[in-house]
Amino acid sequence: MADLVGGARHHLRLYRRLIGAQIRSQLVYRFAFVLDAAAAALITGTEFVAFALVLPRFGGFNGWSLGEVALLYGMAELAFVLMDLVFGGFDAPTISTHVRTGSFDTFLLRPVPLPLQIFGSDFALRRVTRVALAASILAYGVAGAGVDWTAGAVLLLAASVLGMIAFFGGLFVVGGTLTFWTVDSVEAMNVLTYGGRTLISFPMDIYGTWLRRTFTYLIPAAFLSYFPVLHVLGRPLPDGLPRWAAFLPLVIGPLLLAAAFAFWRVGVRRYHGAGS
Amino acid sequence: MITVEHLHKTFVTRTGGLLRGTRRTVEAVRDVSFSVARGEVVGYLGPNGAGKSTTIKVLTGLLVPTSGRVDVGGLVPWRDRRRHVARLGAVFGQRTTLWWDLPVRDSLDLLRDVYRVPRERFRQNLAAFTELLDLGPFLGTPARSLSLGQRMRADLAAALLHDPELLFLDEPTVGLDVVAKERIRAFVQHINAERGVTVLLTTHDLTDTERLARRVLIIDHGRLLYDGGLPDLQARFGGARELVVEFESAPTDPAIDGLQLIGAEGPRVTYAFDGAAARPIALVTAHAPVRDIEVREPDVEATIRRIYEDGLLRTDGS
Repeated sequence: MADLVGGARHHLRLYRRLIGAQIRSQLVYRFAFVLDAAAAALITGTEFVAFALVLPRFGGFNGWSLGEVALLYGMAELAFVLMDLVFGGFDAPTISTHVRTGSFDTFLLRPVPLPLQIFGSDFALRRVTRVALAASILAYGVAGAGVDWTAGAVLLLAASVLGMIAFFGGLFVVGGTLTFWTVDSVEAMNVLTYGGRTLISFPMDIYGTWLRRTFTYLIPAAFLSYFPVLHVLGRPLPDGLPRWAAFLPLVIGPLLLAAAFAFWRVGVRRYHGAGS
Repeated sequence: MITVEHLHKTFVTRTGGLLRGTRRTVEAVRDVSFSVARGEVVGYLGPNGAGKSTTIKVLTGLLVPTSGRVDVGGLVPWRDRRRHVARLGAVFGQRTTLWWDLPVRDSLDLLRDVYRVPRERFRQNLAAFTELLDLGPFLGTPARSLSLGQRMRADLAAALLHDPELLFLDEPTVGLDVVAKERIRAFVQHINAERGVTVLLTTHDLTDTERLARRVLIIDHGRLLYDGGLPDLQARFGGARELVVEFESAPTDPAIDGLQLIGAEGPRVTYAFDGAAARPIALVTAHAPVRDIEVREPDVEATIRRIYEDGLLRTDGS
């Protein structure tokens, strides 16, 4: 037991040190860092501002106010950027580069769990500007959605953000794992990951029924933030779904993440068999 | 330290897509058995694609073999990866374990935490390696700015900071100049002699092997062809010694009974012979007035090349 705790403390300290190494490495290239950080913020910023400018011209958005959309958009963006920060090492291009250059073997030659080293191999600090921007959009949404913020509502949306981080982190892990077999599948995974992210940034009742249902029942993305936000706004869930369905993101996200890591282990086993 | 019995590794490769491609199996390693005792330095030789790196990958736990038994210090490498790699060091000439943009000192300190090396032990080892490998001038330099020789020295230090019992060296001197090569060989000799580290060395550089290893393993086409000392190898396959003679003037007929004529160029004539040089020299000096004589030993490089090319050691004729 003491061994287990000692091991966990060692891993935590090591994770912090690996992330620290990543950050110091990035700050070596200060100019590129500032440029990247500014560009990343600009992309997110213009997308939302353009949307905000256009929305009043159509007299609202299928019955959604700008503040309400900002809530959805800010949550999705914040969760995705935080996920990207933490899970960047599992992104398919990163994993396939590790495998190609042999640094994956270098990880395997160190007496530390492999996922810990992958988590510690990438931490794109330049994304902090996007985190800040996403937090501002979310703050605007929180203030402008006209919600009576009870502790329950705050907790539900916080759980929703955590669920999304786990969900999209899981998709990253699946995409990275697929590169052990082939890199051709990466584009297909991107459609799912980035498409899913964009989709849930807006109220899902603006999409056609089949699209919304695909991303509800086939790929459970609608459960992540759309249903919790509907619940907080006091609106009914579609298809006559029960109200407790709004509380599922904290189950669905971690489930997907656990399944993704199970798949990851299969991929690593395959790597040990084929070695390339 | 290392026991390998009947090791086989077969790769299945697919070409042309997942569904309609053709499957091809490649036997990278076929029935390889050998053992390495604690404290030995063993050279592992073979042409590219012979199965060297596959064997090393199995021994380091990166690859799971198709069949066979492997025991490294009481552990099966691929079953207990973390415990296994904690006791070994590895340097692969083509890549680095250092963090590219960080000063060497920071990378080494990170590895201290990775391997959980006690601070005091780390300090002692770092001081010793800094002295032996002359790391001082570039401990503060990021890995990306190091010369190849400096990077290699830093990587050697990185591989040994946790006092491994076993060191895998893959082409440790490739691309280095003579001085840098010599420094690395001296260091490997030192850690083997002083610290008792067992070393398995793969290299194309036979000077590395001659200087460091008393024993060599030769692999080709996935099969282990030779396991023994370099001098024995030389005696068995080294071919004839050569006598290079410079006569006072070009002889009208350079052929001598009892000596094999290899070449003649003006007064310079080369003969091949086996065994002691006394009799051939007597024969030559009796033949015509001689200005100079040189006895040439067959070199290891040529011997090994001959072994690969002519398949001298192959048993099944494949």
